[in-house]
Amino acid sequence: MTGMRIFWSTCPKCLKAFVVAWELRHSKHKLICPHCGHRYLADESAAIDERHTE
Amino acid sequence: MAKAKSARRGVSRARKPKSLRTYLDRIRNDPAEFRTVSRTVNPADFDVTAVLGHLNQRREYPTVQFNNPLDLNGKPSKFPIVTNLFGTRERCAEAIGLARSEAGPQLGSLLCDRIDRKIAPVVVTSKQSPAHQNVLTGRQADLMMFPGVRHFEMDLGPVYTMGLIAKPPGGNFYNITFVKVFPEGRDRAGLTVHTLHMSRILREWEQKGEVCRVAYVLGHHPAFWLGTLNNTPWGDNEYATCGGFLKEPVRLVPSVTWGKDFLVPADAEIVVEGEIIPRERTVVNPFGDISTQYQGQQLGPVMMVKAITYRDGALFQNIFSGHREHMLLGSIPREGTIYNHLRNKLGNVTAVHMPYSACARYTAYISIRKVEEGQAKNTGLQALAHVPNLLAVVVVDDDIDVFNEEHVLWAVNFQVDPNRDISLITNMRMPADPRALGSTRVIIDATRPSHIAFPTRLRVPPSALDRVKLSEWLDPVTGGAR
Repeated sequence: MTGMRIFWSTCPKCLKAFVVAWELRHSKHKLICPHCGHRYLADESAAIDERHTE
Repeated sequence: MAKAKSARRGVSRARKPKSLRTYLDRIRNDPAEFRTVSRTVNPADFDVTAVLGHLNQRREYPTVQFNNPLDLNGKPSKFPIVTNLFGTRERCAEAIGLARSEAGPQLGSLLCDRIDRKIAPVVVTSKQSPAHQNVLTGRQADLMMFPGVRHFEMDLGPVYTMGLIAKPPGGNFYNITFVKVFPEGRDRAGLTVHTLHMSRILREWEQKGEVCRVAYVLGHHPAFWLGTLNNTPWGDNEYATCGGFLKEPVRLVPSVTWGKDFLVPADAEIVVEGEIIPRERTVVNPFGDISTQYQGQQLGPVMMVKAITYRDGALFQNIFSGHREHMLLGSIPREGTIYNHLRNKLGNVTAVHMPYSACARYTAYISIRKVEEGQAKNTGLQALAHVPNLLAVVVVDDDIDVFNEEHVLWAVNFQVDPNRDISLITNMRMPADPRALGSTRVIIDATRPSHIAFPTRLRVPPSALDRVKLSEWLDPVTGGAR
């Protein structure tokens, strides 16, 4: 068992990144950018860093 | 004149029930303990945490009252913010009636001893409850009327940081736990819940498909909050535990929404009555939390507001997340929990400290009177099993001061054979591990090896230290040090 998995999403509107729990990586719930308030699906991120320890 | 007015109103001369304001009256004249900010502040734009951040950098930890904050609509709020109340061990000790001199290593144990001194709550009428001096229902019950604090730059938004009260289905006991509330509008908010008991309560209501009635309390006496933080068994009525910490019964009043079926603290500053909707989720976080990192954005339960009540001149209490008061709120009870558990199980523990360097949550320094090899590892295993969020336990001899991190790290550097004395415990579950790493825990036996010939620490002979009085031996400084 691993620790809590996270990923970084870069907002497609303001291009700033923030940290997200893995449960939202493929969720139907839209992320909310804490920097600009834009709502979008994780797959719409401008960039995603989802590297994870094995 | 004031006397006559009080008499006309029938105000009792008896001592006032303990509340946030009765506590603040004790400290408000001491600038080391209490400061005020009277200029207008926008807590949603980091004004509050900037002030606290500056004080923190100066290693000053007063309670701060912001008298003129803006609310979440950007308008002047009628609720002053009180924050950083738990910023020192001394204030935590005094809050539960201990002396400042008892704020040292014994504080955790003294605090935990209160768990067994429960005092049953008493129920008063709405008229007798200051928390019911103002009652808002329907569209008037507006969650945006409060001066919510946005703490850190990547936070999703302003957050309320105090305590949620709930009962399980069929259970006649109340659980109280610190929960973050992310307001989403007038009557709706997302929550993050981290404790096992409160999570279980929400899960049980959800399994029944019914709403969970809750009260969210934004301000009470610090002893009330310290009473909520202990590892009490499922089924304990935490109002009674809080009474033990307050040394008087918690006064309760029937809620506006559910009457006697759900009782709320009568001496709270502000109470939000709400219902958590089964199976509904909303996006909460990021939030800068105890590990001084951001908790990732996630899904949390949804609370719908039913009523808001508050006392005249109510204060809005806030916890300065990720800083001293947040750390102490968790570390002091955990130090006591570990100490009492090890005292009962092994009998050789002398002190427990959870250092700020591990955010006062994730590492325990434990000193023991070692008699034989293996005891340190046994101590570490017991501690890890008893406090699930521990990542590391360092065990030292009782001549090492666990409150002095230099001493502890000296022992780690010079008394540890990494191959033998560092034990990795794999696949241990930790609730909400903040690190996104593995699930491995570590025990470091930094006690002096007793099974081999081993060096000892240098020291100036104690007899010499006793004989030489510095004030008598150093030349006077007049005319410059020589």
